[in-house]
Amino acid sequence: MELIIGGAFQGKLRYARELHPDVVWVDGKACTLDEMCKIPGIYNFHLFIKKQMMEGKNILNLADMLLEKNPNMILISDEVGYGVVPVDAFDRDYRESVGRVCTQLAAKCSKVTRVVCGIGTVMKGE
Amino acid sequence: MITLITGGSGSGKSAYAEEQVLLEGEARRIYIATMYPYDEESHRRIDRHRRMRAGKGFETVECYTNLKELQLPENSVVLLECMSNLVANEMFKEQGAHENTVQEVLQGVCMLEAQTRHLFIVTNEIFSDGVEYEEETKRYQEYLGRINAKIAELADRVTEVVYGIPIEYKKGK
Repeated sequence: MELIIGGAFQGKLRYARELHPDVVWVDGKACTLDEMCKIPGIYNFHLFIKKQMMEGKNILNLADMLLEKNPNMILISDEVGYGVVPVDAFDRDYRESVGRVCTQLAAKCSKVTRVVCGIGTVMKGE
Repeated sequence: MITLITGGSGSGKSAYAEEQVLLEGEARRIYIATMYPYDEESHRRIDRHRRMRAGKGFETVECYTNLKELQLPENSVVLLECMSNLVANEMFKEQGAHENTVQEVLQGVCMLEAQTRHLFIVTNEIFSDGVEYEEETKRYQEYLGRINAKIAELADRVTEVVYGIPIEYKKGK
Protein backbone atom coordinates (compact mmCIF):
# COMPACT_ATOMS: atom_id res chain seq x y z
CA MET A 1 0.00 0.00 0.00
CA GLU A 2 1.11 3.51 -0.77
CA LEU A 3 0.07 6.86 0.70
CA ILE A 4 0.47 10.27 -0.95
CA ILE A 5 -0.29 13.23 1.31
CA GLY A 6 0.01 17.00 1.37
CA GLY A 7 -1.99 20.19 1.70
CA ALA A 8 -4.82 21.08 -0.69
CA PHE A 9 -3.90 22.06 -4.28
CA GLN A 10 -0.31 20.85 -4.08
CA GLY A 11 -0.43 18.72 -7.22
CA LYS A 12 -0.76 15.39 -5.44
CA LEU A 13 -2.96 13.75 -8.09
CA ARG A 14 -0.77 15.00 -10.91
CA TYR A 15 2.30 13.69 -9.11
CA ALA A 16 0.60 10.33 -8.58
CA ARG A 17 -0.49 10.11 -12.24
CA GLU A 18 3.04 10.65 -13.44
CA LEU A 19 4.38 8.10 -11.04
CA HIS A 20 1.70 5.50 -11.81
CA PRO A 21 0.44 6.16 -15.37
CA ASP A 22 -1.55 2.91 -15.57
CA VAL A 23 -3.63 3.41 -12.46
CA VAL A 24 -7.28 4.47 -12.79
CA TRP A 25 -8.03 7.00 -10.05
CA VAL A 26 -11.39 7.16 -8.31
CA ASP A 27 -12.69 10.23 -6.48
CA GLY A 28 -13.13 9.51 -2.75
CA LYS A 29 -16.08 11.87 -2.64
CA ALA A 30 -18.17 9.54 -4.80
CA CYS A 31 -16.74 6.18 -3.79
CA THR A 32 -18.56 3.51 -1.78
CA LEU A 33 -17.00 1.28 0.84
CA ASP A 34 -17.38 -1.76 -1.47
CA GLU A 35 -15.60 0.04 -4.29
CA MET A 36 -12.84 1.05 -1.89
CA CYS A 37 -12.00 -2.62 -1.50
CA LYS A 38 -11.41 -3.09 -5.23
CA ILE A 39 -10.08 0.09 -6.82
CA PRO A 40 -6.35 0.52 -7.48
CA GLY A 41 -6.15 4.21 -6.59
CA ILE A 42 -8.22 6.82 -4.77
CA TYR A 43 -7.86 10.59 -4.48
CA ASN A 44 -9.71 12.77 -1.98
CA PHE A 45 -9.39 9.97 0.57
CA HIS A 46 -10.07 12.55 3.32
CA LEU A 47 -13.48 13.25 1.73
CA PHE A 48 -14.24 9.54 1.65
CA ILE A 49 -13.62 9.49 5.41
CA LYS A 50 -15.83 12.55 5.84
CA LYS A 51 -18.67 10.96 3.88
CA GLN A 52 -18.46 7.76 5.91
CA MET A 53 -18.60 9.79 9.12
CA MET A 54 -21.55 11.87 7.90
CA GLU A 55 -23.39 8.63 7.20
CA GLY A 56 -22.72 7.66 10.80
CA LYS A 57 -20.35 4.82 9.92
CA ASN A 58 -17.61 3.79 12.27
CA ILE A 59 -14.21 4.44 10.76
CA LEU A 60 -12.17 2.89 13.59
CA ASN A 61 -11.64 -0.31 11.58
CA LEU A 62 -11.35 1.34 8.16
CA ALA A 63 -7.55 1.18 8.02
CA ASP A 64 -7.40 -2.51 9.00
CA MET A 65 -10.15 -3.39 6.56
CA LEU A 66 -8.41 -1.67 3.63
CA LEU A 67 -5.07 -3.23 4.53
CA GLU A 68 -6.73 -6.63 4.47
CA LYS A 69 -9.02 -6.28 1.45
CA ASN A 70 -7.05 -3.97 -0.83
CA PRO A 71 -3.44 -4.16 0.30
CA ASN A 72 -1.95 -2.82 -2.94
CA MET A 73 -4.04 0.31 -3.29
CA ILE A 74 -2.65 3.82 -3.55
CA LEU A 75 -4.34 6.52 -1.47
CA ILE A 76 -4.10 10.27 -1.93
CA SER A 77 -5.25 12.37 1.00
CA ASP A 78 -5.18 16.01 2.05
CA GLU A 79 -3.48 16.76 5.35
CA VAL A 80 -6.26 18.52 7.24
CA GLY A 81 -4.86 18.58 10.79
CA TYR A 82 -2.70 21.69 10.67
CA GLY A 83 -5.15 24.36 11.75
CA VAL A 84 -6.82 25.72 14.86
CA VAL A 85 -8.97 23.09 16.56
CA PRO A 86 -12.47 23.66 15.12
CA VAL A 87 -15.31 24.81 17.37
CA ASP A 88 -17.75 22.42 15.73
CA ALA A 89 -17.62 18.91 17.25
CA PHE A 90 -18.05 17.08 13.93
CA ASP A 91 -15.31 19.13 12.25
CA ARG A 92 -13.03 18.43 15.18
CA ASP A 93 -13.74 14.70 15.06
CA TYR A 94 -13.36 14.57 11.26
CA ARG A 95 -9.99 16.32 11.30
CA GLU A 96 -8.62 14.06 14.01
CA SER A 97 -10.08 10.93 12.40
CA VAL A 98 -8.33 11.63 9.07
CA GLY A 99 -5.12 11.83 11.09
CA ARG A 100 -5.75 8.60 12.97
CA VAL A 101 -6.75 6.58 9.89
CA CYS A 102 -3.78 7.86 7.89
CA THR A 103 -1.41 7.20 10.82
CA GLN A 104 -2.66 3.60 11.01
CA LEU A 105 -2.24 3.18 7.26
CA ALA A 106 1.17 4.87 7.15
CA ALA A 107 2.49 2.39 9.72
CA LYS A 108 1.80 -0.45 7.24
CA CYS A 109 2.46 1.34 3.95
CA SER A 110 5.59 0.46 2.01
CA LYS A 111 5.82 4.06 0.84
CA VAL A 112 4.60 7.43 2.13
CA THR A 113 5.19 10.57 0.07
CA ARG A 114 4.41 14.18 0.96
CA VAL A 115 3.78 16.56 -1.93
CA VAL A 116 4.49 20.27 -1.49
CA CYS A 117 4.32 22.61 -4.51
CA GLY A 118 4.08 19.58 -6.77
CA ILE A 119 7.32 18.12 -5.45
CA GLY A 120 7.16 14.78 -3.74
CA THR A 121 9.38 13.95 -0.77
CA VAL A 122 9.45 10.30 0.18
CA MET A 123 9.11 10.08 3.95
CA LYS A 124 8.98 6.33 4.19
CA GLY A 125 10.15 3.62 1.79
CA GLU A 126 11.93 4.38 -1.46
CA MET B 1 18.06 19.07 27.48
CA ILE B 2 14.89 19.75 25.53
CA THR B 3 13.27 17.79 22.72
CA LEU B 4 10.39 19.48 20.93
CA ILE B 5 7.86 17.26 19.17
CA THR B 6 5.25 18.84 16.93
CA GLY B 7 2.63 17.70 14.45
CA GLY B 8 -0.95 18.08 13.31
CA SER B 9 -4.13 16.66 14.80
CA GLY B 10 -4.16 12.86 15.02
CA SER B 11 -0.61 12.62 13.71
CA GLY B 12 0.70 10.16 16.31
CA LYS B 13 2.92 12.73 18.04
CA SER B 14 1.96 11.59 21.55
CA ALA B 15 2.72 7.95 20.85
CA TYR B 16 6.04 8.98 19.35
CA ALA B 17 6.87 11.22 22.33
CA GLU B 18 6.13 8.44 24.83
CA GLU B 19 8.32 6.07 22.84
CA GLN B 20 11.18 8.60 22.96
CA VAL B 21 10.84 8.98 26.72
CA LEU B 22 11.07 5.19 27.16
CA LEU B 23 14.24 5.17 25.02
CA GLU B 24 15.87 7.30 27.74
CA GLY B 25 16.01 4.14 29.84
CA GLU B 26 15.66 3.90 33.61
CA ALA B 27 14.48 7.13 35.14
CA ARG B 28 11.66 8.67 37.09
CA ARG B 29 9.21 9.53 34.36
CA ILE B 30 6.97 12.49 34.93
CA TYR B 31 4.02 13.34 32.72
CA ILE B 32 2.87 16.94 32.92
CA ALA B 33 -0.79 16.95 31.89
CA THR B 34 -2.03 20.37 30.75
CA MET B 35 -5.49 19.60 29.42
CA TYR B 36 -8.10 20.99 31.76
CA PRO B 37 -11.01 18.54 32.06
CA TYR B 38 -13.87 20.92 31.40
CA ASP B 39 -16.33 18.74 29.48
CA GLU B 40 -17.10 15.18 28.45
CA GLU B 41 -14.91 15.32 25.35
CA SER B 42 -11.87 16.50 27.28
CA HIS B 43 -12.44 13.70 29.80
CA ARG B 44 -12.52 11.23 26.91
CA ARG B 45 -9.29 12.65 25.51
CA ILE B 46 -7.61 12.52 28.89
CA ASP B 47 -8.75 8.91 29.37
CA ARG B 48 -7.39 7.95 25.98
CA HIS B 49 -3.99 9.41 26.82
CA ARG B 50 -4.03 7.70 30.23
CA ARG B 51 -4.66 4.35 28.57
CA MET B 52 -1.80 5.00 26.13
CA ARG B 53 0.56 5.76 29.02
CA ALA B 54 -0.58 2.89 31.23
CA GLY B 55 2.19 0.49 32.16
CA LYS B 56 4.95 2.82 30.98
CA GLY B 57 5.84 4.00 34.47
CA PHE B 58 4.77 7.63 34.30
CA GLU B 59 3.83 9.68 37.35
CA THR B 60 1.22 12.23 36.30
CA VAL B 61 1.41 15.83 37.46
CA GLU B 62 -1.43 18.14 36.48
CA CYS B 63 -0.44 21.66 35.54
CA TYR B 64 -2.96 23.95 33.89
CA THR B 65 -1.16 27.24 34.45
CA ASN B 66 1.98 28.58 36.13
CA LEU B 67 4.50 26.03 34.91
CA LYS B 68 7.39 27.78 36.63
CA GLU B 69 6.09 26.89 40.11
CA LEU B 70 6.39 23.15 39.42
CA GLN B 71 8.96 21.28 41.48
CA LEU B 72 10.10 18.08 39.83
CA PRO B 73 12.46 15.36 41.04
CA GLU B 74 16.05 15.83 39.96
CA ASN B 75 17.27 13.75 37.07
CA SER B 76 13.77 12.84 35.96
CA VAL B 77 12.67 12.47 32.35
CA VAL B 78 9.67 14.66 31.73
CA LEU B 79 6.97 14.71 29.09
CA LEU B 80 4.91 17.89 28.90
CA GLU B 81 1.73 17.44 26.92
CA CYS B 82 0.60 19.61 25.35
CA MET B 83 1.95 23.13 24.89
CA SER B 84 -1.13 24.20 22.93
CA ASN B 85 -3.37 23.48 25.93
CA LEU B 86 -1.04 25.18 28.38
CA VAL B 87 -0.93 28.32 26.25
CA ALA B 88 -4.72 28.37 25.90
CA ASN B 89 -5.07 28.00 29.69
CA GLU B 90 -2.62 30.82 30.36
CA MET B 91 -4.42 33.08 27.91
CA PHE B 92 -8.04 32.35 28.68
CA LYS B 93 -8.31 31.00 32.24
CA GLU B 94 -8.88 33.47 35.05
CA GLN B 95 -5.71 32.55 36.94
CA GLY B 96 -3.67 32.57 33.71
CA ALA B 97 -0.88 34.91 32.66
CA HIS B 98 -2.98 36.55 29.89
CA GLU B 99 -0.83 39.10 28.04
CA ASN B 100 2.32 37.77 29.76
CA THR B 101 1.72 34.24 28.47
CA VAL B 102 4.74 33.98 26.18
CA GLN B 103 7.20 35.17 28.78
CA GLU B 104 5.68 33.12 31.64
CA VAL B 105 5.55 29.89 29.66
CA LEU B 106 9.12 30.25 28.41
CA GLN B 107 10.34 30.97 31.92
CA GLY B 108 8.56 27.82 33.06
CA VAL B 109 10.21 25.78 30.31
CA CYS B 110 13.66 27.04 31.33
CA MET B 111 13.00 26.25 35.02
CA LEU B 112 11.91 22.72 34.12
CA GLU B 113 14.88 22.15 31.87
CA ALA B 114 17.23 23.19 34.68
CA GLN B 115 15.58 20.77 37.13
CA THR B 116 15.37 17.67 34.97
CA ARG B 117 17.47 15.36 32.85
CA HIS B 118 15.47 15.60 29.67
CA LEU B 119 12.35 17.60 28.98
CA PHE B 120 10.17 16.43 26.09
CA ILE B 121 7.57 18.93 24.98
CA VAL B 122 4.67 18.05 22.70
CA THR B 123 3.16 20.93 20.79
CA ASN B 124 0.73 21.38 17.95
CA GLU B 125 0.71 22.75 14.42
CA ILE B 126 -2.35 25.00 14.29
CA PHE B 127 -1.09 27.53 11.78
CA SER B 128 -1.89 26.29 8.30
CA ASP B 129 -5.63 26.25 7.67
CA GLY B 130 -5.59 29.63 5.94
CA VAL B 131 -8.55 30.86 7.99
CA GLU B 132 -8.44 34.44 9.20
CA TYR B 133 -9.68 34.16 12.76
CA GLU B 134 -10.96 36.86 15.07
CA GLU B 135 -8.47 38.74 17.27
CA GLU B 136 -8.45 36.38 20.24
CA THR B 137 -7.74 33.27 18.21
CA LYS B 138 -5.18 35.08 16.08
CA ARG B 139 -3.38 36.12 19.24
CA TYR B 140 -3.47 32.51 20.42
CA GLN B 141 -1.82 31.40 17.16
CA GLU B 142 0.74 34.17 17.52
CA TYR B 143 1.63 33.32 21.11
CA LEU B 144 1.90 29.59 20.46
CA GLY B 145 3.92 30.24 17.29
CA ARG B 146 6.36 32.42 19.17
CA ILE B 147 6.66 29.92 22.02
CA ASN B 148 7.22 27.02 19.61
CA ALA B 149 9.94 28.94 17.77
CA LYS B 150 11.71 29.93 20.98
CA ILE B 151 11.59 26.39 22.40
CA ALA B 152 12.93 25.08 19.09
CA GLU B 153 15.85 27.48 19.47
CA LEU B 154 16.58 26.16 22.97
CA ALA B 155 16.00 22.53 22.05
CA ASP B 156 18.57 19.91 21.15
CA ARG B 157 16.10 18.10 18.97
CA VAL B 158 13.05 19.23 17.01
CA THR B 159 10.89 16.65 15.29
CA GLU B 160 7.66 16.87 13.36
CA VAL B 161 5.59 13.69 13.39
CA VAL B 162 3.62 13.15 10.19
CA TYR B 163 1.19 10.24 10.44
CA GLY B 164 3.59 8.49 12.79
CA ILE B 165 6.68 9.21 10.68
CA PRO B 166 9.28 11.41 12.41
CA ILE B 167 10.86 14.21 10.37
CA GLU B 168 13.94 15.58 12.12
CA TYR B 169 14.44 19.33 11.77
CA LYS B 170 17.15 19.68 14.37
CA LYS B 171 19.38 16.93 15.69
CA GLY B 172 21.73 17.61 18.60
CA LYS B 173 23.53 20.89 19.21
